[in-house]
Amino acid sequence: MEGLTLQASKRDILGKKTRFLRRQGITPTHLFGHGLESLALQCDTPKLQRTIAQAGMTRLIALDIEGDKQPRSVFIREIQRNECTGELLHIDFYQVRKAEKIRVDVPVVLVGEAPAMKEKGRILTHSLTSLSIECLPDKLPPQIEVDLSQLEEVGQAIYIRDIAFSPDITVITDTDQMVVKVSEARVEVEEVVAEEVVAEAEVPAEEVEEKPEQGPTD
Amino acid sequence: MLQPKRVKYRKTHKGHRRGRAQAGNRVDFGDFGLQALESAWVSSRQIEAARRAITHYIRRGGNVWVRIFPDKPVTKKPAETRMGGGKGPPDHWVAVVKPGRMLFEMGGVSEAVARGAMRLASHKLPINTRFVFRETGIAVGSDSATGELTQGEG
Repeated sequence: MEGLTLQASKRDILGKKTRFLRRQGITPTHLFGHGLESLALQCDTPKLQRTIAQAGMTRLIALDIEGDKQPRSVFIREIQRNECTGELLHIDFYQVRKAEKIRVDVPVVLVGEAPAMKEKGRILTHSLTSLSIECLPDKLPPQIEVDLSQLEEVGQAIYIRDIAFSPDITVITDTDQMVVKVSEARVEVEEVVAEEVVAEAEVPAEEVEEKPEQGPTD
Repeated sequence: MLQPKRVKYRKTHKGHRRGRAQAGNRVDFGDFGLQALESAWVSSRQIEAARRAITHYIRRGGNVWVRIFPDKPVTKKPAETRMGGGKGPPDHWVAVVKPGRMLFEMGGVSEAVARGAMRLASHKLPINTRFVFRETGIAVGSDSATGELTQGEG
């Protein structure tokens, strides 16, 4: 997708004081790259959230920094969020050089329907959700699509070596790893077990607990 | 029910439940998760009840991951016992849960089924929870993107 741009400005507020920025709807960000001096930046939070949704971590963004003549080509490298509220805390941008290969984790997306899944009681296990690849920034696919239509029988699986990659891409992840598999669902047998006493074997029985020392004194 | 095979010390201090979950706070195994929004001691019975509710709802199909383990013994004095005489015997096991902790994960089922199962499971737990998605990093701008980029609130 062409034309993903994001405005950013240089940031003077560092450290714990960045929480004041977040309250004003500004997210602290950072830009770094191979052989480049890192820069502390800040972006408008709503615009940044829109860009993250559109670009993911595998699309080039033209980062227009206030005061710079030309926008920089960057990828989103890391997204930090508050794990409870989901609020954006910090973003890392990685500036790329067009002629230098980069390593990126690309998400694996399942497309189509597996004929083996038409019968009941079968599970599709998606065990590998991202793949580490090396390529030039321009050649980076936003995602790797795996066609499920070749899964016709139970027990069949697709491995990384079965996926057809463009010749520009070098796969870093072990190619013998399984991506997706169709298997029979296990039937859970409901057990009616008597209540287990906590700590039986490993916790020896409590010594004689208490002895009434004295009778009531009143 | 879940409990450790053996422990180094039979009785532990109560401890404190300050702060948020620093680990185990993301959907790592499945596609959907049930995330804790409060801190609590979740007992092995509650975990088992929630797990059964999930597996019963999804019937055959799908995978379930239990992301918490009750490794903390809770002691209790016997009924009608006078105070003193030391700490009581171990009574049950609990998992210490802090806000943000992923409690259960599911994969291989549709979102509607996962939501229904997690809703039933949440009723068996002593804390408020929410339904979340895996953070995939997929660009929504792409043609065939289907995943969610951010953790969605249930």
